[in-house]
Amino acid sequence: MSADTLTPASTSAGPRPALVRAEFLKIVSTKMWIGLLVGVLIFVAIQVLATAFAPRTGDAANQLPPLTTDIGLRNLFGGVGQATVFALIIGALGITQEFRHQTITSTFLAAPHRSRVMVAKMLAHVLVGALYGVAAVVGGFAIAFAALAVKDHAPVDYTVVAQIGLGVVLAYALYAVLGVAVGTLVRNQIAALVGLIVWAVFVEALLILLLPKVGKWLPGGAVEGIKQVAGFNQNADYLAPLPASLLLIAWAVVFAAIASVTTLRRDVT
Amino acid sequence: MSSVTRTPGVPIDVTSLTKHFGSVVAVDDLSFSVAPGRVTGFLGPNGAGKTTTLRCLLGLVAPTSGDATIGGRTYLDTGTPMRVVGSALEASGFHPGRNARNHLRVLARMGGVDERRADETLALVGLTESARRTVGGFSLGMRQRLQLAAALLGDPGVLVLDEPANGLDPEGIAWLRAFLRHLASEGRTVLVSSHVLSEVEQTVDDVVIIAEGRLVRACPLSDLTDHGRRLVVRTPQADALVAAVRADAPSATFTTTDDGALEIGQVEAAVVGRAALRAQAELHELRPATSDLEQVFLALTSGASS
Repeated sequence: MSADTLTPASTSAGPRPALVRAEFLKIVSTKMWIGLLVGVLIFVAIQVLATAFAPRTGDAANQLPPLTTDIGLRNLFGGVGQATVFALIIGALGITQEFRHQTITSTFLAAPHRSRVMVAKMLAHVLVGALYGVAAVVGGFAIAFAALAVKDHAPVDYTVVAQIGLGVVLAYALYAVLGVAVGTLVRNQIAALVGLIVWAVFVEALLILLLPKVGKWLPGGAVEGIKQVAGFNQNADYLAPLPASLLLIAWAVVFAAIASVTTLRRDVT
Repeated sequence: MSSVTRTPGVPIDVTSLTKHFGSVVAVDDLSFSVAPGRVTGFLGPNGAGKTTTLRCLLGLVAPTSGDATIGGRTYLDTGTPMRVVGSALEASGFHPGRNARNHLRVLARMGGVDERRADETLALVGLTESARRTVGGFSLGMRQRLQLAAALLGDPGVLVLDEPANGLDPEGIAWLRAFLRHLASEGRTVLVSSHVLSEVEQTVDDVVIIAEGRLVRACPLSDLTDHGRRLVVRTPQADALVAAVRADAPSATFTTTDDGALEIGQVEAAVVGRAALRAQAELHELRPATSDLEQVFLALTSGASS
C-alpha cells in the first residue's frame, strides 16, 4: 500500500492509487468540505420539509402533487437531490483553489504527468461527492419518513425509494466531477463558483422548466431523469435513469476532455 | 535514519534554452551547466529570466526551443522527479487552511515518497513544533523553511531553490547558508537563484549570471572577485603615471572617477607603485577599490542591456 519504494517510471495510463489518496487528503485536510457537507444537510432538510408540509391553497395546477399520490411521494424523496450544487462547488474548489493559492505548481512538480493528476482528482471527488450523496439520502430520507408518520400518504414503494437513493448518490458523485472539470477550464475561483451557481440554480432550472425538450439533455435534466422526479413540471419527459446516468457521465467526460487539451497544456507560471 | 535513500547528485545542463511569451523573449539562447557537490548561484536582476529558466528545467513551462536536463534527462523523464530533484519555487504557494504536516504528506503521496518523510523533513528545517499549525499563520521565513522541507522530501541529489533567502532574517540566512553548504558537501547539486549577489556570495562556489534572458557570465565566484580587482590612485601627475604604468602593464585599464581619482584595473598595486616612483609621480592615495561584488554584479548585468 505504501509507495515508499522507488517505483520505476510506468507508462500505463491507469489511475494511480497514491495520487487518488493524495487528492483525497487535499480535500479532507482543510475544513471546506465540512462546511459544504453541512450546507448539503441544511438544504436537503429544508427541501424535504417544504415538500412535506407545503400549504395546499389556490389553483391545483400551481401546487406540488400531494403525498397521497405516487408522484407526490417521488417529489418528497427526490428532494434529497436538491443540493447537488454543493457537489459542484466542492469539485470546482478542488481545482480552482490550486490555481488561487498556487499549489498547482507543487502539485505538478510532485506529479508532472498532469492528466494523471486530473484523473486522480476526479476520482477523489467522486468519493467526496458520493459521501455528500449518502449524507443527503440518509438525512433527507430520515426527515421524509418522519414526515410521512404524521401525514396522509400513498403506500411507499421501497423499490422506487431505493432507486431514488442510489440515483441521488450517483448524481452528487458525478456533479463533483463536473465541478472539477469546469473549474479546470475556468481556473478563476470566483468566476467558476459564480458561473456554476448561477447556471445550476437559475439558468438550467429555468431551461428545464420552460424548454423541457432541451432541458432534459442538460446535466440538471439528467439528474431529474435519474431521480424520475417531476417537481412542478408534471408533464416532464425526462430520460430513463440509466440513459440519464450515462448522459451525466458524458457531460463530465466532455468537460474533462476540453480541460485536458486546454488548461493542462498551459505553462504554469 | 532517513526513510528514503538519497539519489546521487547529477549535473544540470541548460542548452540553447529559449522561451517566448507572446512577443516577449524571456529566455534567449541560454546555455550553462551546474556541477554536483557545489552550490551554484543563479543570479540576475528581477525579470532577467531566472524563474522562467527554472520552470523550464522543472517541466512547468514548455521551452520554445532548446532544452534543460537533469542528469541528461528532462524532468518528466526522471520517472519519480521528487527522488531526483527537489525544488522550491517562489510563486509556489500553500493552502492557508492546511497544516504544514498535511501539506508535506500530500506532496509525499503524490511524489511516491514515504509519508514519514514529512516529519523527518520538518525536523530538518526546524519546524517540528509548528507541524500541526495551519500555514496561513506562518511567517514568510517559516514558509521558506516549509518550501525547503518540501524540496527535501525525496532526499534528492539535486536541489533547485528559487530565492530561498527572501523573507529570512539574518539568523535565518546564516542557517540557510550552513544548510546549503552541508547539502553540497554531501555531493548534491545545489542551484540557488537570487537577484541580490550579496545575499548568496558567502554561500556559493559558482555563479551563473544572466540578464535579459541571456548569459552574462558563468564562472567560479573567485573569478568574479578577480574581475573586479581595481586600484584607486590619486596623483597630481596622472598623465605621467598612466604612461609609466602602461609601459609595464599593457593590459591595464584606466578610468577617471567623478571625484578626480584614477581607477586602474588589471594590475597589481606594486606595479603602480614602481611606475609612480620611476615617473616621479606624487602619490596621495594608492589602495584597492572596495571589492564590492554587488557592484561587479550590477556592472555586469547592466552591461548586457546597453
